[in-house]
Amino acid sequence: MTIDLRRHNTVLAGDDRYFVFLDDGRARLVPDHCPHRGGPLSLGRRTADGRRLACPWHGTRVGVAALCRTALPMVRTGDTAIAVLPGPPAGETGETGQAPVPVTVIHRHILANLPPEAGEGTTDATA
Amino acid sequence: MAIDTDIVRPGPADDLGRHVAAFTNDNLFTGVPQLLHPPNPYRRMLVPDAVAEVDFTRPLSPAEATGHRALVAHRLLGTFYEADTVLLPEQGLGALRGDFDRFYGDGLRRLREASLSDLERFAFALLDDEVDVTGAWSVEDLAAYFEHAAAEADAGEAESLTAIAAARRPEVAADTYLVQLALDGLTEASAMSKNLGGAFGPEQSALFKVFIDEFGYGVHDAKHTTIFRKMLRSRGLQTHVHAYWNFYLAGPLATNNYYYFVSRDHASFFRYIGAVTYAERVFAPSFVNMIRTYRGVFGDDVDLHYCEEHAHIDAHHGRITRDEILLALAERHGAGVIPELVRGIAEARLLGGWFEQDTAAQIRWSDDLDAHRLPGGTQTPAGTHAPAEGTRRVRVTAGSPFGTRSHDRAVVVTAEDGAAELVTAPTGPSARLARGDAVLVPAGRLYGIRPAGPDCTYSVRLAGPGTTAVTPSAS
Repeated sequence: MTIDLRRHNTVLAGDDRYFVFLDDGRARLVPDHCPHRGGPLSLGRRTADGRRLACPWHGTRVGVAALCRTALPMVRTGDTAIAVLPGPPAGETGETGQAPVPVTVIHRHILANLPPEAGEGTTDATA
Repeated sequence: MAIDTDIVRPGPADDLGRHVAAFTNDNLFTGVPQLLHPPNPYRRMLVPDAVAEVDFTRPLSPAEATGHRALVAHRLLGTFYEADTVLLPEQGLGALRGDFDRFYGDGLRRLREASLSDLERFAFALLDDEVDVTGAWSVEDLAAYFEHAAAEADAGEAESLTAIAAARRPEVAADTYLVQLALDGLTEASAMSKNLGGAFGPEQSALFKVFIDEFGYGVHDAKHTTIFRKMLRSRGLQTHVHAYWNFYLAGPLATNNYYYFVSRDHASFFRYIGAVTYAERVFAPSFVNMIRTYRGVFGDDVDLHYCEEHAHIDAHHGRITRDEILLALAERHGAGVIPELVRGIAEARLLGGWFEQDTAAQIRWSDDLDAHRLPGGTQTPAGTHAPAEGTRRVRVTAGSPFGTRSHDRAVVVTAEDGAAELVTAPTGPSARLARGDAVLVPAGRLYGIRPAGPDCTYSVRLAGPGTTAVTPSAS
């Protein structure tokens, strides 16, 4: 699927949500899903050292490097990205008979891409 | 461009600039008076004056991919790369032996070797900004991305072919496109040949199958370059390397050079495979479209055997490169190489766009030159043109070397003294500029000036934001 990065930063694929996470000058499409209880990581803020994201639900710290490792396959060319989503492409049925899910791209406010909050604590458990 | 009377040339600011200046000022690269280069593959106009304007300490940005600095860099790179291939004139070396010795000789070779990597970085570092591959990739993901890119190409229209079909002078437009293909067509598969050595298993053998098709299975009459020359000849075009050097555009030069770039450095081998797989996949349908367009323009007065051959054999090459090379390499060498294969696909897709956009823009401008003539000739209506400072005046004679160039910003070219011919296409009549006539040259558009009589002087100045043509374009 194609994403115009100037206009969109979030992908809704069935019940799954992904957001464009910016780190180290690169854009990655990562699950908007905290591994703790499924909180919206896109609304988390970076810790002061910038190395982790604090989930807004329970404050769980998710390592940025670990989050990047969960990124979906994506190619950015200029301002356009092509991502390969799990499951069969639209209009096709998967080998195991699963139907493709509806996919939508939208723009949302992504707090995770803001600079780290000053004075933010670092004592919670990490994911 | 030719005899340059009042340009203040900045001194080369770095090693690359110094090496490039030394290279381009060699007698082999200072041009001849004719528009087309004679049958001598060692001489090609590098337009030293235009090269001298380039700051080589600042790599090309994505916005400059087909601009003046890109044209300068890719002319140089193309010359460097071809100096690593064997070029011999069809008529025999004879009197060109000295040029052969000089082209391949120690002096220029040392300059090339001293600057090639830096020049590649200057020209292609922008790809690092423009293309980024992220995430965890499987072979299935690679296949899915490839099919997406191929389907996108199948569904899109070739901008150049659309421009040809819409042109007032479609024959000239079609020749302009054909000339861009000549860049690769006259030395076809030379970059690919650099990936055949070594030992990399069944994928190496599969690549060789593609290569041997390109070379006509050792039968010279079936070699793709041979049938490409038949196509040129059927249009009355010259067939030697590189008769149309002055008319190669930055986008096509960059595309051709890219395949050398990722073939020279075998650390980029997987990028090369991604790129060549994409190219072979999209060639077949694109040549079908080219056949349709060229039949529409020329009827039966053009030999399209070359296009028909590609429309057929590249369907096989698309399958071989995808199944037996791209996916096979991914299976064999694992996830670690897949992002590089993907990157090659994405880069080939991007560069193909540069080729199309640059060629289409040149066709449209060249076809519509009268609409770019400026009212009032050399007069400068208040607020319409930039101040006169920075104006450069150039005097050319009938014996001056002819070269073409572009500018990174729109300029106004004015015939100041004597009549000039504005050359923007490899065939068809040039546009005459009588004394006082001025024309707007948009950023990135290729042009050359030669005198209509014994000599002329023309000026080049930046166009102001309000500069408007004498009539609105009808295209």
